[in-house]
Amino acid sequence: MKRVGLLSGIAFGFLIAAAGFGDADFIHRMLLLQNAYPYLVFGSAVVTAMPLLWLLQRARWVTPLGGPLKLVQAPLRRRQLYGGVCFGVGWAFSCTCPVPALAMVFSGGVLGIPVVAGLFSGILLGDRRAHARPLSDGVTAAQPAT
Amino acid sequence: MPLLPHHLPWFVAGPLIGLVPVALYAVANRPLGASGAYLQAIQTVRGRATEGWRAWFFVGLIIGVLAATVLQGGPVLHLGYAFIAGWVNPIGAIPVLFFSGLLMGYGARWAGGCTSGHGLCGTAARGIGSFVAAFTFFLTAIVVTLGLNLLTGGRA
Repeated sequence: MKRVGLLSGIAFGFLIAAAGFGDADFIHRMLLLQNAYPYLVFGSAVVTAMPLLWLLQRARWVTPLGGPLKLVQAPLRRRQLYGGVCFGVGWAFSCTCPVPALAMVFSGGVLGIPVVAGLFSGILLGDRRAHARPLSDGVTAAQPAT
Repeated sequence: MPLLPHHLPWFVAGPLIGLVPVALYAVANRPLGASGAYLQAIQTVRGRATEGWRAWFFVGLIIGVLAATVLQGGPVLHLGYAFIAGWVNPIGAIPVLFFSGLLMGYGARWAGGCTSGHGLCGTAARGIGSFVAAFTFFLTAIVVTLGLNLLTGGRA
């Protein structure tokens, strides 16, 4: 499993950086609706993955390392809205998100460092909150974060 | 001369990115996500990891972005926010950027995923909650960015 995690991380990180998502100015133009490229990348990624996952599910695919395939389909919860707004505000001010922030830092973008430090702190705080008290929708402990 | 362009054509990058969560599901029956990888990376350091493979995913992310950067002719030391250069002191931007990261991290944990966990993997798995989360991420970020742009007279 370690090897799968490492290899999928390498592939994902490589492609996100190769798409230029580590460039905050590029993402800033996307959020200003002046740059369609990231939307096209994002959209074509989902359009590629969705039918393939559907086909695997339909074929009752048995995975080599994890047994019968079971897709995680998040049910609708209020916290997706609250957390979504919180995330969106941070995204607007930083013009980067978790993987692109790593791409920014490791391409030499010095101001990506405080963003990554903030991400670690926020994720840890959010995890403590999730374990400290039940969420409004009745989910008691942190679900596997994705 | 760089071996890799700074932006692969979208019709190459997008479908290839889409294949990563499919491969992860097909091989290991696990959803892809970056904020979970951050969390497990910290928890591994603290000796409290519950999904250790996600820490390896995090290490992989760093190797992957570094490999792409080298092929693109980097890394090159730079600030990273050209659009604020000249009117915002980079030192003054540090707390704002830290707080932005904190909001994103906290928000991702609250929402149960980030742009990759909900936005890519969750929507591809047809989770209604992931569609709502992803739509909220994008809508909020676009509205706030356009608002900031308006307030700063087109500078931000």
